[in-house]
Amino acid sequence: MRGTSGVLIMKTMQLRLTVNGETRQWTIAPGDLLLDVLRREGCYGVKRGCEKGECGACTVLLDGKPINSCLMFAAQAEGCDILTIEGLAVGDVLDPLQEAFLDHGAVQCGYCTPGMILNAKALLARNPHPSEAEVRETMAGNYCRCTGYLKPVEAVLAAAGRAPAPARSGRKAVKR
Amino acid sequence: MFDLVEAFHRPSSIREALRLLHAGGRRARIVAGGTDVVVRADPEIRSLVDITRLGLTYIKRSGGAWAIGATTTMAQIEHSAALRALAGGILVEAAKGCGSVQLRNMATLGGNLANASPAADTAAPLLVLDAQVVVAGERSRRTLALADFFLKPGETALGKALLVEILIPAPPRGARTAWSFQKLGRTESDISVVNAAAGLQVDGKGVCKWCRIALGAVAPVPLRARAAEALVTGRKLDGSLVEQAAAEAAREASPITDIRATAEYRREMCRVLVKRALAECAARAGCSL
Ligand SMILES: Cc1cc2nc3c(=O)[nH]c(=O)nc-3n(C[C@H](O)[C@H](O)[C@H](O)COP(=O)(O)OP(=O)(O)OC[C@H]3O[C@@H](n4cnc5c(N)ncnc54)[C@H](O)[C@@H]3O)c2cc1C
Repeated sequence: MRGTSGVLIMKTMQLRLTVNGETRQWTIAPGDLLLDVLRREGCYGVKRGCEKGECGACTVLLDGKPINSCLMFAAQAEGCDILTIEGLAVGDVLDPLQEAFLDHGAVQCGYCTPGMILNAKALLARNPHPSEAEVRETMAGNYCRCTGYLKPVEAVLAAAGRAPAPARSGRKAVKR
Repeated sequence: MFDLVEAFHRPSSIREALRLLHAGGRRARIVAGGTDVVVRADPEIRSLVDITRLGLTYIKRSGGAWAIGATTTMAQIEHSAALRALAGGILVEAAKGCGSVQLRNMATLGGNLANASPAADTAAPLLVLDAQVVVAGERSRRTLALADFFLKPGETALGKALLVEILIPAPPRGARTAWSFQKLGRTESDISVVNAAAGLQVDGKGVCKWCRIALGAVAPVPLRARAAEALVTGRKLDGSLVEQAAAEAAREASPITDIRATAEYRREMCRVLVKRALAECAARAGCSL
Protein backbone atom coordinates (compact mmCIF):
# COMPACT_ATOMS: atom_id res chain seq x y z
CA MET A 1 0.00 0.00 0.00
CA ARG A 2 1.32 3.43 -0.87
CA GLY A 3 1.19 6.72 0.95
CA THR A 4 1.60 5.40 4.46
CA SER A 5 4.56 7.59 5.39
CA GLY A 6 2.61 9.99 7.59
CA VAL A 7 0.37 9.38 10.58
CA LEU A 8 -2.67 9.35 8.33
CA ILE A 9 -3.12 5.96 6.76
CA MET A 10 -4.80 6.42 3.43
CA LYS A 11 -6.44 3.23 2.18
CA THR A 12 -5.87 2.63 -1.49
CA MET A 13 -6.72 0.05 -4.09
CA GLN A 14 -5.83 -0.71 -7.68
CA LEU A 15 -8.14 0.04 -10.58
CA ARG A 16 -7.58 -1.62 -13.95
CA LEU A 17 -9.52 -0.34 -16.91
CA THR A 18 -9.25 0.85 -20.50
CA VAL A 19 -9.40 4.58 -21.14
CA ASN A 20 -9.50 5.87 -24.69
CA GLY A 21 -8.13 2.59 -26.00
CA GLU A 22 -5.25 2.31 -23.55
CA THR A 23 -5.02 -0.08 -20.64
CA ARG A 24 -4.52 1.74 -17.35
CA GLN A 25 -3.79 0.75 -13.82
CA TRP A 26 -4.40 3.49 -11.31
CA THR A 27 -4.11 3.71 -7.56
CA ILE A 28 -7.35 5.05 -6.14
CA ALA A 29 -9.05 5.54 -2.80
CA PRO A 30 -12.03 3.21 -2.28
CA GLY A 31 -14.43 6.15 -2.05
CA ASP A 32 -13.13 8.00 -5.12
CA LEU A 33 -15.67 9.01 -7.73
CA LEU A 34 -14.92 8.25 -11.37
CA LEU A 35 -15.09 11.95 -12.30
CA ASP A 36 -12.34 12.83 -9.80
CA VAL A 37 -10.08 9.99 -10.90
CA LEU A 38 -10.42 10.76 -14.61
CA ARG A 39 -9.59 14.42 -14.04
CA ARG A 40 -6.72 13.57 -11.71
CA GLU A 41 -5.30 11.38 -14.46
CA GLY A 42 -5.46 14.20 -16.98
CA CYS A 43 -8.80 13.78 -18.74
CA TYR A 44 -9.79 17.42 -18.28
CA GLY A 45 -12.45 17.12 -20.98
CA VAL A 46 -14.54 15.39 -18.33
CA LYS A 47 -16.11 18.46 -16.74
CA ARG A 48 -17.12 18.94 -13.15
CA GLY A 49 -20.60 20.47 -13.16
CA CYS A 50 -23.48 19.99 -10.75
CA GLU A 51 -22.01 16.83 -9.16
CA LYS A 52 -25.46 15.35 -8.70
CA GLY A 53 -26.26 13.78 -12.02
CA GLU A 54 -28.32 16.56 -13.53
CA CYS A 55 -26.18 18.65 -15.87
CA GLY A 56 -24.36 15.97 -17.88
CA ALA A 57 -21.05 17.89 -18.11
CA CYS A 58 -19.21 14.86 -16.66
CA THR A 59 -20.66 12.41 -19.22
CA VAL A 60 -18.32 9.65 -20.41
CA LEU A 61 -19.07 6.47 -22.34
CA LEU A 62 -18.72 3.35 -20.20
CA ASP A 63 -18.69 0.25 -22.40
CA GLY A 64 -20.34 2.42 -25.04
CA LYS A 65 -23.08 3.81 -22.83
CA PRO A 66 -23.28 7.40 -21.60
CA ILE A 67 -23.16 7.73 -17.82
CA ASN A 68 -22.63 10.57 -15.35
CA SER A 69 -19.12 10.03 -13.99
CA CYS A 70 -19.95 12.21 -10.97
CA LEU A 71 -22.38 9.55 -9.69
CA MET A 72 -20.18 6.51 -10.13
CA PHE A 73 -17.54 5.17 -7.79
CA ALA A 74 -14.28 4.76 -9.70
CA ALA A 75 -13.93 1.23 -8.33
CA GLN A 76 -17.11 0.27 -10.20
CA ALA A 77 -15.32 0.85 -13.50
CA GLU A 78 -12.95 -2.09 -12.89
CA GLY A 79 -12.44 -3.92 -16.18
CA CYS A 80 -14.55 -1.42 -18.12
CA ASP A 81 -13.83 0.47 -21.30
CA ILE A 82 -14.12 4.24 -21.00
CA LEU A 83 -14.25 6.82 -23.74
CA THR A 84 -13.76 10.48 -22.88
CA ILE A 85 -13.77 13.37 -25.35
CA GLU A 86 -9.96 13.12 -25.52
CA GLY A 87 -10.30 9.73 -27.21
CA LEU A 88 -12.86 10.62 -29.84
CA ALA A 89 -10.73 12.09 -32.62
CA VAL A 90 -8.49 9.70 -34.51
CA GLY A 91 -5.12 11.43 -34.57
CA ASP A 92 -5.79 14.83 -36.14
CA VAL A 93 -9.04 13.72 -37.71
CA LEU A 94 -12.04 14.95 -35.76
CA ASP A 95 -15.12 12.81 -35.32
CA PRO A 96 -18.02 13.88 -37.62
CA LEU A 97 -19.86 15.06 -34.50
CA GLN A 98 -16.97 17.30 -33.49
CA GLU A 99 -16.81 18.68 -37.04
CA ALA A 100 -20.53 19.32 -37.02
CA PHE A 101 -20.41 21.14 -33.68
CA LEU A 102 -17.72 23.43 -35.11
CA ASP A 103 -19.52 23.94 -38.44
CA HIS A 104 -22.77 24.85 -36.70
CA GLY A 105 -21.29 27.16 -34.09
CA ALA A 106 -22.69 24.80 -31.48
CA VAL A 107 -19.85 25.58 -29.09
CA GLN A 108 -19.83 28.73 -27.02
CA CYS A 109 -18.06 28.49 -23.66
CA GLY A 110 -17.53 24.81 -24.39
CA TYR A 111 -18.15 23.47 -20.91
CA CYS A 112 -21.10 21.29 -21.85
CA THR A 113 -19.69 20.30 -25.24
CA PRO A 114 -17.75 17.12 -24.36
CA GLY A 115 -20.77 15.65 -22.57
CA MET A 116 -23.10 16.59 -25.40
CA ILE A 117 -20.88 15.11 -28.06
CA LEU A 118 -20.32 11.84 -26.18
CA ASN A 119 -24.02 11.44 -25.43
CA ALA A 120 -24.80 12.09 -29.11
CA LYS A 121 -22.07 9.64 -30.13
CA ALA A 122 -23.81 6.84 -28.22
CA LEU A 123 -27.17 7.84 -29.67
CA LEU A 124 -25.88 7.66 -33.25
CA ALA A 125 -24.23 4.32 -32.57
CA ARG A 126 -27.57 2.73 -31.69
CA ASN A 127 -29.76 4.92 -33.90
CA PRO A 128 -27.79 6.35 -36.85
CA HIS A 129 -30.68 8.46 -38.14
CA PRO A 130 -32.58 9.84 -35.15
CA SER A 131 -35.47 12.25 -35.48
CA GLU A 132 -35.14 15.73 -34.00
CA ALA A 133 -37.40 14.64 -31.14
CA GLU A 134 -35.13 11.69 -30.39
CA VAL A 135 -32.07 13.94 -30.39
CA ARG A 136 -33.75 16.40 -28.03
CA GLU A 137 -34.94 13.64 -25.73
CA THR A 138 -31.43 12.21 -25.56
CA MET A 139 -29.76 15.57 -24.98
CA ALA A 140 -32.15 16.40 -22.12
CA GLY A 141 -29.44 15.14 -19.78
CA ASN A 142 -26.94 17.76 -20.98
CA TYR A 143 -27.49 21.30 -19.79
CA CYS A 144 -26.15 24.28 -21.69
CA ARG A 145 -26.18 27.66 -20.01
CA CYS A 146 -24.99 29.84 -22.89
CA THR A 147 -25.52 28.95 -26.54
CA GLY A 148 -28.76 27.05 -26.02
CA TYR A 149 -29.85 23.83 -27.62
CA LEU A 150 -30.79 24.76 -31.18
CA LYS A 151 -27.31 24.62 -32.63
CA PRO A 152 -26.20 21.48 -30.82
CA VAL A 153 -29.37 19.71 -32.00
CA GLU A 154 -28.75 20.90 -35.57
CA ALA A 155 -25.17 19.71 -35.32
CA VAL A 156 -26.17 16.23 -34.19
CA LEU A 157 -28.75 15.95 -36.95
CA ALA A 158 -26.20 17.11 -39.51
CA ALA A 159 -23.64 14.59 -38.25
CA ALA A 160 -26.29 11.89 -38.49
CA GLY A 161 -26.98 12.88 -42.09
CA ARG A 162 -23.43 12.23 -43.09
CA ALA A 163 -22.75 9.29 -40.82
CA PRO A 164 -21.97 6.14 -42.77
CA ALA A 165 -24.90 3.89 -43.54
CA PRO A 166 -25.37 1.25 -40.84
CA ALA A 167 -22.57 -1.25 -41.50
CA ARG A 168 -24.00 -3.40 -44.27
CA SER A 169 -21.08 -4.25 -46.48
CA GLY A 170 -18.32 -2.48 -44.63
CA ARG A 171 -18.59 0.43 -47.06
CA LYS A 172 -16.26 3.36 -46.38
CA ALA A 173 -17.69 6.56 -44.99
CA VAL A 174 -18.61 9.02 -47.70
CA LYS A 175 -16.01 11.80 -47.87
CA ARG A 176 -17.35 15.28 -47.50
CA MET B 1 -16.97 13.36 -0.35
CA PHE B 2 -16.37 9.72 0.52
CA ASP B 3 -12.93 10.31 2.05
CA LEU B 4 -13.68 8.13 5.06
CA VAL B 5 -14.57 5.06 3.03
CA GLU B 6 -12.06 2.34 3.84
CA ALA B 7 -13.05 -0.44 1.50
CA PHE B 8 -14.83 -0.97 -1.78
CA HIS B 9 -15.92 -4.56 -2.32
CA ARG B 10 -16.93 -6.19 -5.59
CA PRO B 11 -18.31 -9.55 -4.51
CA SER B 12 -19.21 -12.11 -7.14
CA SER B 13 -21.82 -14.04 -5.17
CA ILE B 14 -24.88 -13.16 -3.11
CA ARG B 15 -23.41 -15.09 -0.19
CA GLU B 16 -20.22 -13.08 -0.22
CA ALA B 17 -22.14 -9.81 -0.55
CA LEU B 18 -24.25 -10.68 2.48
CA ARG B 19 -21.18 -11.66 4.47
CA LEU B 20 -19.52 -8.31 3.66
CA LEU B 21 -22.66 -6.41 4.59
CA HIS B 22 -22.92 -8.25 7.84
CA ALA B 23 -19.24 -7.68 8.65
CA GLY B 24 -19.53 -3.97 7.84
CA GLY B 25 -22.54 -3.47 10.10
CA ARG B 26 -24.23 -0.08 10.10
CA ARG B 27 -21.37 1.51 8.23
CA ALA B 28 -21.53 -0.77 5.20
CA ARG B 29 -23.68 0.30 2.27
CA ILE B 30 -24.90 -1.53 -0.78
CA VAL B 31 -24.23 0.27 -4.03
CA ALA B 32 -25.94 -0.65 -7.29
CA GLY B 33 -26.22 2.23 -9.76
CA GLY B 34 -25.03 4.60 -7.06
CA THR B 35 -27.34 7.41 -8.18
CA ASP B 36 -28.98 7.73 -4.78
CA VAL B 37 -26.02 6.63 -2.64
CA VAL B 38 -23.64 9.20 -4.15
CA VAL B 39 -26.08 12.11 -4.07
CA ARG B 40 -26.96 11.39 -0.44
CA ALA B 41 -23.23 11.22 0.52
CA ASP B 42 -23.81 9.74 3.96
CA PRO B 43 -20.62 10.53 5.95
CA GLU B 44 -21.16 7.42 8.12
CA ILE B 45 -20.28 5.04 5.27
CA ARG B 46 -17.00 3.16 5.74
CA SER B 47 -17.43 0.29 3.29
CA LEU B 48 -19.23 -0.03 0.00
CA VAL B 49 -20.50 -3.32 -1.40
CA ASP B 50 -21.04 -3.21 -5.17
CA ILE B 51 -23.80 -5.68 -6.10
CA THR B 52 -23.69 -5.22 -9.86
CA ARG B 53 -21.56 -8.35 -10.40
CA LEU B 54 -23.84 -10.88 -8.73
CA GLY B 55 -25.66 -12.03 -11.85
CA LEU B 56 -28.78 -10.09 -10.85
CA THR B 57 -29.15 -8.26 -14.15
CA TYR B 58 -31.87 -10.00 -16.17
CA ILE B 59 -35.46 -9.89 -17.38
CA LYS B 60 -36.94 -13.42 -17.45
CA ARG B 61 -40.28 -14.87 -18.24
CA SER B 62 -41.65 -17.85 -16.35
CA GLY B 63 -45.08 -18.83 -17.58
CA GLY B 64 -47.12 -15.65 -17.70
CA ALA B 65 -45.08 -14.13 -14.88
CA TRP B 66 -41.95 -12.00 -15.10
CA ALA B 67 -38.85 -11.92 -12.95
CA ILE B 68 -36.57 -8.90 -13.08
CA GLY B 69 -33.16 -9.03 -11.40
CA ALA B 70 -32.55 -6.27 -8.86
CA THR B 71 -29.59 -4.74 -10.71
CA THR B 72 -31.39 -4.48 -14.05
CA THR B 73 -31.11 -0.85 -15.15
CA MET B 74 -33.91 1.51 -16.10
CA ALA B 75 -32.41 1.59 -19.63
CA GLN B 76 -32.63 -2.19 -19.91
CA ILE B 77 -36.26 -2.11 -18.83
CA GLU B 78 -36.99 0.77 -21.19
CA HIS B 79 -35.57 -1.16 -24.14
CA SER B 80 -37.22 -4.48 -23.33
CA ALA B 81 -39.74 -5.28 -26.07
CA ALA B 82 -41.25 -7.95 -23.81
CA LEU B 83 -41.88 -5.54 -20.95
CA ARG B 84 -43.30 -3.01 -23.38
CA ALA B 85 -45.96 -5.57 -24.18
CA LEU B 86 -46.68 -6.25 -20.50
CA ALA B 87 -49.70 -4.42 -19.02
CA GLY B 88 -49.75 -1.66 -21.60
CA GLY B 89 -46.07 -1.01 -20.98
CA ILE B 90 -46.65 0.93 -17.75
CA LEU B 91 -43.40 -0.23 -16.16
CA VAL B 92 -41.46 0.71 -19.28
CA GLU B 93 -43.08 4.12 -19.28
CA ALA B 94 -42.13 4.68 -15.64
CA ALA B 95 -38.53 3.56 -16.27
CA LYS B 96 -38.31 5.90 -19.28
CA GLY B 97 -39.23 8.84 -17.10
CA CYS B 98 -36.45 8.20 -14.56
CA GLY B 99 -33.97 10.98 -15.19
CA SER B 100 -31.80 11.41 -18.25
CA VAL B 101 -30.38 8.81 -20.64
CA GLN B 102 -27.16 8.87 -18.61
CA LEU B 103 -29.02 8.32 -15.35
CA ARG B 104 -31.10 5.47 -16.76
CA ASN B 105 -27.93 3.66 -17.82
CA MET B 106 -26.90 3.62 -14.15
CA ALA B 107 -30.07 3.57 -12.02
CA THR B 108 -31.35 0.09 -11.16
CA LEU B 109 -34.85 -1.17 -10.45
CA GLY B 110 -33.74 -2.68 -7.14
CA GLY B 111 -32.14 0.62 -6.11
CA ASN B 112 -35.30 2.53 -6.96
CA LEU B 113 -37.34 0.32 -4.62
CA ALA B 114 -34.73 -0.21 -1.87
CA ASN B 115 -34.15 3.53 -1.67
CA ALA B 116 -37.79 3.75 -0.56
CA SER B 117 -38.50 7.24 -1.80
CA PRO B 118 -42.27 7.82 -1.75
CA ALA B 119 -41.78 9.29 -5.23
CA ALA B 120 -39.97 6.29 -6.76
CA ASP B 121 -41.38 6.11 -10.26
CA THR B 122 -41.43 2.34 -10.66
CA ALA B 123 -43.33 1.75 -7.41
CA ALA B 124 -46.82 2.73 -8.57
CA PRO B 125 -46.81 0.56 -11.73
CA LEU B 126 -45.37 -2.38 -9.78
CA LEU B 127 -48.02 -1.94 -7.08
CA VAL B 128 -50.87 -2.12 -9.58
CA LEU B 129 -49.20 -5.20 -11.05
CA ASP B 130 -49.31 -6.80 -7.56
CA ALA B 131 -45.53 -7.27 -7.71
CA GLN B 132 -43.58 -9.17 -5.10
CA VAL B 133 -39.97 -8.81 -4.06
CA VAL B 134 -37.54 -11.62 -3.35
CA VAL B 135 -35.23 -10.84 -0.47
CA ALA B 136 -32.10 -12.84 0.40
CA GLY B 137 -30.77 -12.87 3.96
CA GLU B 138 -27.75 -14.73 5.28
CA ARG B 139 -29.84 -17.73 6.26
CA SER B 140 -32.98 -17.60 4.21
CA ARG B 141 -34.81 -16.22 1.25
CA ARG B 142 -38.32 -14.85 1.40
CA THR B 143 -40.85 -13.36 -0.94
CA LEU B 144 -43.10 -10.54 0.14
CA ALA B 145 -45.66 -8.30 -1.48
CA LEU B 146 -44.24 -4.98 -2.64
CA ALA B 147 -47.11 -3.34 -0.74
CA ASP B 148 -45.55 -4.70 2.50
CA PHE B 149 -42.00 -3.77 1.52
CA PHE B 150 -42.16 -0.01 2.07
CA LEU B 151 -42.30 1.02 5.74
CA LYS B 152 -41.68 4.76 5.72
CA PRO B 153 -39.62 7.27 3.70
CA GLY B 154 -36.18 5.70 3.24
CA GLU B 155 -37.10 2.57 5.13
CA THR B 156 -38.03 -0.89 3.88
CA ALA B 157 -38.60 -4.32 5.37
CA LEU B 158 -35.12 -5.32 4.07
CA GLY B 159 -33.01 -4.88 7.18
CA LYS B 160 -29.53 -6.13 6.26
CA ALA B 161 -30.89 -8.35 3.50
CA LEU B 162 -30.47 -8.01 -0.21
CA LEU B 163 -33.29 -7.36 -2.64
CA VAL B 164 -32.52 -9.88 -5.38
CA GLU B 165 -35.54 -10.04 -7.66
CA ILE B 166 -38.80 -8.34 -8.50
CA LEU B 167 -41.59 -10.75 -9.43
CA ILE B 168 -44.54 -9.69 -11.52
CA PRO B 169 -47.28 -12.33 -11.46
CA ALA B 170 -49.15 -12.90 -14.71
CA PRO B 171 -51.39 -9.84 -14.90
CA PRO B 172 -55.11 -10.39 -15.42
CA ARG B 173 -55.76 -10.52 -19.15
CA GLY B 174 -58.75 -10.81 -21.36
CA ALA B 175 -60.83 -8.46 -23.41
CA ARG B 176 -61.21 -4.86 -22.28
CA THR B 177 -58.31 -4.91 -19.83
CA ALA B 178 -56.30 -1.69 -19.77
CA TRP B 179 -53.50 0.05 -17.87
CA SER B 180 -52.12 3.54 -17.44
CA PHE B 181 -49.18 5.34 -15.82
CA GLN B 182 -49.21 9.08 -15.13
CA LYS B 183 -46.36 11.25 -13.91
CA LEU B 184 -46.18 14.90 -13.06
CA GLY B 185 -42.65 16.24 -12.74
CA ARG B 186 -41.16 19.72 -12.72
CA THR B 187 -39.29 18.79 -15.90
CA GLU B 188 -39.38 15.69 -18.06
CA SER B 189 -36.42 14.10 -16.31
CA ASP B 190 -37.07 15.23 -12.75
CA ILE B 191 -38.39 12.94 -10.04
CA SER B 192 -42.19 12.90 -9.66
CA VAL B 193 -44.12 15.60 -7.85
CA VAL B 194 -46.95 13.09 -7.99
CA ASN B 195 -47.41 9.86 -9.93
CA ALA B 196 -50.19 7.33 -10.31
CA ALA B 197 -50.89 4.05 -12.04
CA ALA B 198 -54.12 2.20 -12.72
CA GLY B 199 -55.37 -1.00 -14.26
CA LEU B 200 -58.92 -2.23 -14.83
CA GLN B 201 -61.20 -4.48 -16.81
CA VAL B 202 -64.72 -3.75 -17.99
CA ASP B 203 -67.30 -6.23 -19.24
CA GLY B 204 -69.40 -5.95 -22.40
CA LYS B 205 -71.81 -3.59 -20.64
CA GLY B 206 -69.06 -1.27 -19.45
CA VAL B 207 -69.22 -2.50 -15.85
CA CYS B 208 -65.85 -2.54 -14.12
CA LYS B 209 -64.88 -6.12 -13.13
CA TRP B 210 -61.81 -5.15 -11.14
CA CYS B 211 -59.77 -2.01 -10.64
CA ARG B 212 -56.34 -1.26 -9.19
CA ILE B 213 -55.01 2.21 -8.43
CA ALA B 214 -51.61 3.14 -6.96
CA LEU B 215 -50.33 6.54 -5.87
CA GLY B 216 -46.78 7.87 -5.57
CA ALA B 217 -45.29 10.91 -3.79
CA VAL B 218 -48.47 11.66 -1.87
CA ALA B 219 -47.91 9.61 1.32
CA PRO B 220 -44.97 8.32 3.40
CA VAL B 221 -44.84 5.28 1.09
CA PRO B 222 -46.19 4.50 -2.39
CA LEU B 223 -49.60 2.95 -1.80
CA ARG B 224 -52.70 1.37 -3.29
CA ALA B 225 -55.85 3.51 -3.17
CA ARG B 226 -58.08 0.69 -1.90
CA ALA B 227 -61.18 2.79 -1.22
CA ALA B 228 -61.11 4.30 -4.69
CA GLU B 229 -60.64 0.83 -6.18
CA ALA B 230 -63.64 -0.49 -4.23
CA LEU B 231 -65.74 2.42 -5.38
CA VAL B 232 -65.15 1.63 -9.05
CA THR B 233 -65.42 -2.16 -8.89
CA GLY B 234 -68.80 -3.54 -9.90
CA ARG B 235 -70.13 -0.24 -11.22
CA LYS B 236 -70.59 1.13 -14.70
CA LEU B 237 -67.52 3.09 -15.67
CA ASP B 238 -68.57 6.60 -16.67
CA GLY B 239 -67.36 10.15 -16.32
CA SER B 240 -68.97 10.76 -12.97
CA LEU B 241 -67.62 7.51 -11.49
CA VAL B 242 -64.13 8.46 -12.64
CA GLU B 243 -64.50 11.87 -10.95
CA GLN B 244 -65.72 10.26 -7.73
CA ALA B 245 -62.92 7.68 -7.70
CA ALA B 246 -60.29 10.36 -8.31
CA ALA B 247 -61.64 12.44 -5.42
CA GLU B 248 -61.66 9.35 -3.21
CA ALA B 249 -58.03 8.57 -4.10
CA ALA B 250 -57.05 12.15 -3.24
CA ARG B 251 -58.70 11.65 0.18
CA GLU B 252 -56.62 8.52 0.72
CA ALA B 253 -53.45 10.52 0.10
CA SER B 254 -51.58 12.20 2.97
CA PRO B 255 -49.10 14.43 1.16
CA ILE B 256 -46.46 16.72 2.62
CA THR B 257 -45.00 20.03 1.54
CA ASP B 258 -41.37 19.95 0.35
CA ILE B 259 -39.14 21.75 -2.13
CA ARG B 260 -41.03 20.31 -5.09
CA ALA B 261 -44.62 21.10 -4.13
CA THR B 262 -47.04 21.97 -1.36
CA ALA B 263 -49.26 19.35 0.22
CA GLU B 264 -52.37 21.06 -1.18
CA TYR B 265 -51.00 21.03 -4.72
CA ARG B 266 -49.97 17.39 -4.39
CA ARG B 267 -53.42 16.33 -3.22
CA GLU B 268 -55.10 18.20 -6.07
CA MET B 269 -52.66 16.79 -8.65
CA CYS B 270 -53.19 13.32 -7.21
CA ARG B 271 -56.88 13.71 -8.02
CA VAL B 272 -56.07 14.92 -11.53
CA LEU B 273 -53.60 12.12 -12.25
CA VAL B 274 -55.96 9.40 -11.02
CA LYS B 275 -58.69 10.88 -13.16
CA ARG B 276 -56.38 10.88 -16.17
CA ALA B 277 -55.23 7.33 -15.44
CA LEU B 278 -58.78 5.99 -15.19
CA ALA B 279 -59.87 7.95 -18.25
CA GLU B 280 -56.94 6.57 -20.21
CA CYS B 281 -57.75 3.03 -19.04
CA ALA B 282 -61.38 3.53 -20.05
CA ALA B 283 -60.37 4.76 -23.50
CA ARG B 284 -57.94 1.88 -23.96
CA ALA B 285 -60.63 -0.58 -22.85
CA GLY B 286 -62.94 0.85 -25.49
CA CYS B 287 -65.29 2.66 -23.09
CA SER B 288 -66.50 6.12 -23.96
CA LEU B 289 -66.96 8.20 -20.83
C1 LIG C 1 -30.59 13.62 -11.37
C2 LIG C 1 -31.44 12.51 -10.82
C3 LIG C 1 -32.71 12.31 -11.33
C4 LIG C 1 -33.51 11.28 -10.83
N1 LIG C 1 -34.74 11.11 -11.37
C5 LIG C 1 -35.54 10.12 -10.88
C6 LIG C 1 -36.85 9.93 -11.42
O1 LIG C 1 -37.29 10.63 -12.33
N2 LIG C 1 -37.61 8.95 -10.87
C7 LIG C 1 -37.16 8.15 -9.85
O2 LIG C 1 -37.91 7.29 -9.40
N3 LIG C 1 -35.93 8.30 -9.35
C8 LIG C 1 -35.11 9.27 -9.82
N4 LIG C 1 -33.86 9.44 -9.28
C9 LIG C 1 -33.44 8.61 -8.15
C10 LIG C 1 -32.57 7.38 -8.48
O3 LIG C 1 -31.88 7.54 -9.69
C11 LIG C 1 -33.40 6.10 -8.53
O4 LIG C 1 -34.01 5.89 -7.28
C12 LIG C 1 -32.56 4.86 -8.91
O5 LIG C 1 -33.41 3.86 -9.41
C13 LIG C 1 -31.74 4.30 -7.76
O6 LIG C 1 -31.07 3.14 -8.21
P1 LIG C 1 -29.50 2.94 -8.03
O7 LIG C 1 -29.17 1.60 -8.57
O8 LIG C 1 -28.75 4.08 -8.54
O9 LIG C 1 -29.45 2.91 -6.42
P2 LIG C 1 -28.22 3.11 -5.43
O10 LIG C 1 -27.92 4.54 -5.26
O11 LIG C 1 -27.11 2.19 -5.79
O12 LIG C 1 -28.94 2.55 -4.11
C14 LIG C 1 -30.06 3.21 -3.55
C15 LIG C 1 -30.32 2.66 -2.14
O13 LIG C 1 -30.80 1.33 -2.18
C16 LIG C 1 -29.89 0.42 -1.60
N5 LIG C 1 -29.87 -0.72 -2.52
C17 LIG C 1 -29.65 -0.68 -3.87
N6 LIG C 1 -29.86 -1.88 -4.42
C18 LIG C 1 -30.21 -2.72 -3.41
C19 LIG C 1 -30.56 -4.09 -3.35
N7 LIG C 1 -30.61 -4.86 -4.46
N8 LIG C 1 -30.86 -4.62 -2.14
C20 LIG C 1 -30.85 -3.87 -1.03
N9 LIG C 1 -30.54 -2.56 -1.02
C21 LIG C 1 -30.22 -1.98 -2.20
C22 LIG C 1 -28.59 1.17 -1.44
O14 LIG C 1 -27.86 0.74 -0.33
C23 LIG C 1 -29.09 2.60 -1.26
O15 LIG C 1 -29.48 2.80 0.07
C24 LIG C 1 -33.03 10.45 -9.78
C25 LIG C 1 -31.75 10.64 -9.29
C26 LIG C 1 -30.94 11.65 -9.78
C27 LIG C 1 -29.56 11.83 -9.23
